[in-house]
Amino acid sequence: MSDIENKIQEEAKKALEGGDVSVVIGWGAGSAPFKTTPVFIEKPEDADKLVWNPACVNNLAVYLPKLANDKKVGIVAKPCDIRSMIGLIQEKQIKRENLYIIGLGCAGVVDAFNLDSQDFHLQDVIGLDWTSDGLKVSTTNGDYTLSCSDCLRDMCLVCTKREPAIFDVKLGEAVQPSDIRESLIPELAEERKAYWSEQFSKCIRCYACRQVCPACYCKTCFADRVEPKWTAKKATAEEAWMFHATRMMHIAGRCIGCGECERICPVGIPVAELAREMAQAVKDTYGYEAGDPNQESPVLGQYKEEDFDPAHHGG
Amino acid sequence: MTQETAVIENTTQEAAAKKEWQPTILGILCNWCSYAGADLAGSARLHYPETIRIVRVPCSGRVDPMFVLKGFQKGFDAVIVLGCHPGDCHYAKGNYYARRRIALVKDLLKSLGIPEERFHFEWVSASEGNRFAELVTEMTEKIKKLGPFEGVTP
Ligand code: SF4
Ligand code: SF4
Ligand code: SF4
Repeated sequence: MSDIENKIQEEAKKALEGGDVSVVIGWGAGSAPFKTTPVFIEKPEDADKLVWNPACVNNLAVYLPKLANDKKVGIVAKPCDIRSMIGLIQEKQIKRENLYIIGLGCAGVVDAFNLDSQDFHLQDVIGLDWTSDGLKVSTTNGDYTLSCSDCLRDMCLVCTKREPAIFDVKLGEAVQPSDIRESLIPELAEERKAYWSEQFSKCIRCYACRQVCPACYCKTCFADRVEPKWTAKKATAEEAWMFHATRMMHIAGRCIGCGECERICPVGIPVAELAREMAQAVKDTYGYEAGDPNQESPVLGQYKEEDFDPAHHGG
Repeated sequence: MTQETAVIENTTQEAAAKKEWQPTILGILCNWCSYAGADLAGSARLHYPETIRIVRVPCSGRVDPMFVLKGFQKGFDAVIVLGCHPGDCHYAKGNYYARRRIALVKDLLKSLGIPEERFHFEWVSASEGNRFAELVTEMTEKIKKLGPFEGVTP
């Protein structure tokens, strides 16, 4: 994919040289060959720091409400990142004309920690690339090819929107793997409550899941408010329940399913499972999907008279 | 223990045993219809169990889903939300917005394993004092059968 990587660098360079884009947000080399890190390129000569490979996981849209407020920002983006941007535009957090989107067709990205379970050591990995058979992992002991279902991130296993919905330049091809899954929504577990109690009892309330979510841009989050105190600071399962349940209501119909909240969690709580269920409920009941450029306002900011009525019809 | 104190002790224990467990229900009611309906039940001297604690809100559109979540987190045995019938909202459309939120709260509670019987949403108008009294009675009976809420993260 170095071909596309070169093109990204060229486009970023052009945009910065043109002068109306002050910064290009993209991915750069990370602390290991199977990792990348967000980079903010301000000088055309630094554009060669941009990379594009299967480890470009971060949803970079999270930086936009702060950066693209009053100036034009370039951004290298996967289709899911672009869906977050569409949400931000619809919610009037950013203006489309302040974005210069270098949109990428996508073949899915990997979670480095999933790679560790294969028959090579993570520390021996020297590079990752997409091939027509799956993911090529180059290591100091030779190359391995992994099937998509063995290594792609969960959300990529169900993703069917691999073309950028909006863009200024489009690069790369969308690749739809054959082993795409129907859904990641777990069977309604017998003991849902026990399951989430156990998960939430691990939560240290670091709020990383909120910080990384492009839909969580509130200047003051309810969780940080003292008056009223919706959720106390103590890290108990019950307070964590209140935090997560509320966050789920806040992202209902707004979550585009990037899975960042789940990836970032230091204690491995599968928060995106709940987010996916919310998204499914929104889709089932209102036929609404977040990040669709043809939609106007968030699902809870509108209604139709003929909407489904959840009321009990008694008396 | 003297004979007298023993008698007192036994009597209080018996009384406590006889006194049935009663649920505590959080009711979030819109001012213009449902609260007025509850008021009517009162002024008509209709009987219903004293299990409900009412929070009056200006409109069902004011019902932040967090009110419902907080109710459960704080251990209420059930939560009831009532508003004006669709088309009858004092603010024209507040209850239409409420309807979408409530539908999604229900889905969320299901995902989190909170028994759906413990949450009740209904349209109750200012003239439906009867329905209000009936509803509190029904809900109280239902929750008595279910027993105390074991908490959001037992
Ligand atoms: S969710 Fe879709 S668009 Fe996003 S990285 Fe995965 S495959 Fe690409
Ligand atoms: S990232 Fe994980 S531990 Fe931190 S607040 Fe979110 S769920 Fe809790
Ligand atoms: S809730 Fe999670 S999956 Fe949804 S948009 Fe936010 S970070 Fe992405």
